[in-house]
Amino acid sequence: MSTAETEVDVRRTPGLVPVTETMRTVEREPGAAPAGPPAAAPPPSRPVAAFWRLLGSELGLTFRRPRNQVMLAVLASVPLLIGIGLRIAAGDEAVGGLIGAVAGNSLMLTFVSFSFLVLLLMPVSVAVVGGDSVAGEAGAGTLRYLLAAPAGRTRLLAVKYLNAVLFAYAVTIVVALSALVTGLVLFPVGPVTLLSGSTVSVAEGLLRILVTVGYVGAGMAALAAIAVALSTFTEVSIGAIAATMVLVIVAQVIRAIPQLDFLAPYLLPTWWTRFDAVLRSPIDLAALGQGLLVFGAYIGLFCSIAWARFTGKDITS
Amino acid sequence: MRRGTFVRWGVPIAAAAVIAGAMGAGPVIAAVSGEPTLPERTAQQLLADAAAATSERDGIPPMSGTVQQTASLGLPALPQTGSASPINLLSGSHEVKLWYGGVNKIRVAMPTQFDETNVIVNGDQVWYWDSGDNTATKVKVKSGTDVGRHQLPTPSPSDMTPQKMAADLLAGAEKDTAVRVTNNAQVAGRAAYQLVLTPKDESSLVQEVRVALDGETYVPLQVQVYAKGSAEPAFQVGFTQVTFTPPAAENFTFTPPAGAKVQEQTLGDDKAAEQHAEHAQETAQGLKTVGEGWTRVAVLPFKPEDLTKARTQQPDGQWNEGADPGALLDNVLKSATPVSGTWGSGKLIKTKLVTALLTDDGRLLVGAVTPEEITKAAGIK
Repeated sequence: MSTAETEVDVRRTPGLVPVTETMRTVEREPGAAPAGPPAAAPPPSRPVAAFWRLLGSELGLTFRRPRNQVMLAVLASVPLLIGIGLRIAAGDEAVGGLIGAVAGNSLMLTFVSFSFLVLLLMPVSVAVVGGDSVAGEAGAGTLRYLLAAPAGRTRLLAVKYLNAVLFAYAVTIVVALSALVTGLVLFPVGPVTLLSGSTVSVAEGLLRILVTVGYVGAGMAALAAIAVALSTFTEVSIGAIAATMVLVIVAQVIRAIPQLDFLAPYLLPTWWTRFDAVLRSPIDLAALGQGLLVFGAYIGLFCSIAWARFTGKDITS
Repeated sequence: MRRGTFVRWGVPIAAAAVIAGAMGAGPVIAAVSGEPTLPERTAQQLLADAAAATSERDGIPPMSGTVQQTASLGLPALPQTGSASPINLLSGSHEVKLWYGGVNKIRVAMPTQFDETNVIVNGDQVWYWDSGDNTATKVKVKSGTDVGRHQLPTPSPSDMTPQKMAADLLAGAEKDTAVRVTNNAQVAGRAAYQLVLTPKDESSLVQEVRVALDGETYVPLQVQVYAKGSAEPAFQVGFTQVTFTPPAAENFTFTPPAGAKVQEQTLGDDKAAEQHAEHAQETAQGLKTVGEGWTRVAVLPFKPEDLTKARTQQPDGQWNEGADPGALLDNVLKSATPVSGTWGSGKLIKTKLVTALLTDDGRLLVGAVTPEEITKAAGIK
């Protein structure tokens, strides 16, 4: 990228931020010579501090936004509704399996809540935040101000993705906490019966919930990568959000067709529900590990797509 | 286009390539490392070694692992049935986990999404646990009867272990089979000998049967049945993961969890089982075979009405929707081709591995042979 290129390109669209310009703002260290290596101690520490400041302000914006707060509240209410429903139905002998197990143990409500929410409601909320991340700024016309500040495109994208990941974990933790509190209030506390028929202590049950939160959160972070990647392709955030949800729903449809079973191991929703591995005795670590590998592959692929697109795009709004 | 654009998009393309490589690497590595890693053996030496190792240890060594069974028999699409139905094993892929601590210490778990079925054998105690209906069944075996694992009230997943299948298949290997041994197979990441059995008879639908024996312990790790003219096995059961260390003791202890329904069932005692046995005996008396070895065709008297009768004999809804044999038969017969000859006429059902002929005079012929061969067998009365 030569400097001549920008000098020639004088008659440009008003408001356009060409990629060459912001790329240079990234690489230029304040006060340092263009060719020289980063000077000494202060410059490297400053971008790091700036990164965390930017992330902090992003998180503040995300969690203060009423839309996101409402989504978290809705997610927190679902375990409550499931809990109340199961408490009323507790007398019926007919219910078996995972749902039936809740009546006997409070901790099971967390797993039941995840099994319901992980397929649609949690992906929706993660898609909203992820899909809005870049497209929302572009649509509101604030993206070029973000880029005018010497934040750098790669760093901005990293902040946006990290923000979406943290929101994904917040969603997971909110569901787990709400289910845990509801369960403790409505159902008896005691040793947890696993799917394998063996029982573990309450402490180990809580530990297994923690593993589930980590695993499901990672699964949602993989979806967030898709949402952020799609978000870099459009200036209309609803487009990125809808596209992400369409992908999730198409994956669910494929999973429902027995003839397409061979595709299932490559789809995210298949692995979201695999958190049931923690409910087996011994914990099916192989299944969890494979799930995490799939999530990692999705994150790597879609983050690199987002990066390639975002660092090479002229910002026109 | 800017010069940097190509470089930038190279990154996601590289990422995709790495992921695709990682996914494909498993089979490729196994295929590439084809050089023999085990000393060469003839079939006889191998079987003798295996037999010696087995008797020395008094059976199979303690082990645990994941067994996967895959069938692609080319059957007409079967209706989806409950996970526990044996009919399900005829299509698709199924996985069980196996813990083997000794003859009297066995745990077989069949995990499905948010459910698990377990059969736990510990000493003289046999438990069957189904998390789906939260029921623990204590299975008692009537004294005097042998503890056959297939007698468990499940379509016992243990039938799928390679050990049993290998034993069955090796017993059948005789003069009409060409046997050879390869020493470069890889099963579940372990070097294994592969015993390849090829039928000599041309009219058999079986191309070959491959039995993989672990190179170190001689435990059968995999059984594959190849049909003529297809590169993928039509039926396969084998370990996808295996370790030869004694499994933890808590795998074999089972106490019914609080709140679970506990049932007791004694095998060989209830009347239904006796009736079943009687029925089986009747059928066995009517059973004839035509031919020898691989091209043996079983002939048994059969009327579609019998199945309908069986349906009414199960008033307690023991058959699932799709597992209902009558409905299943209707479904299968829909795809059957009508055939006729000097022997009469009937309906022919052809799969990759098995041909079945239902004649109009009430006989069912089943064999792993070509349609020509089965119609020939139909002529022999």
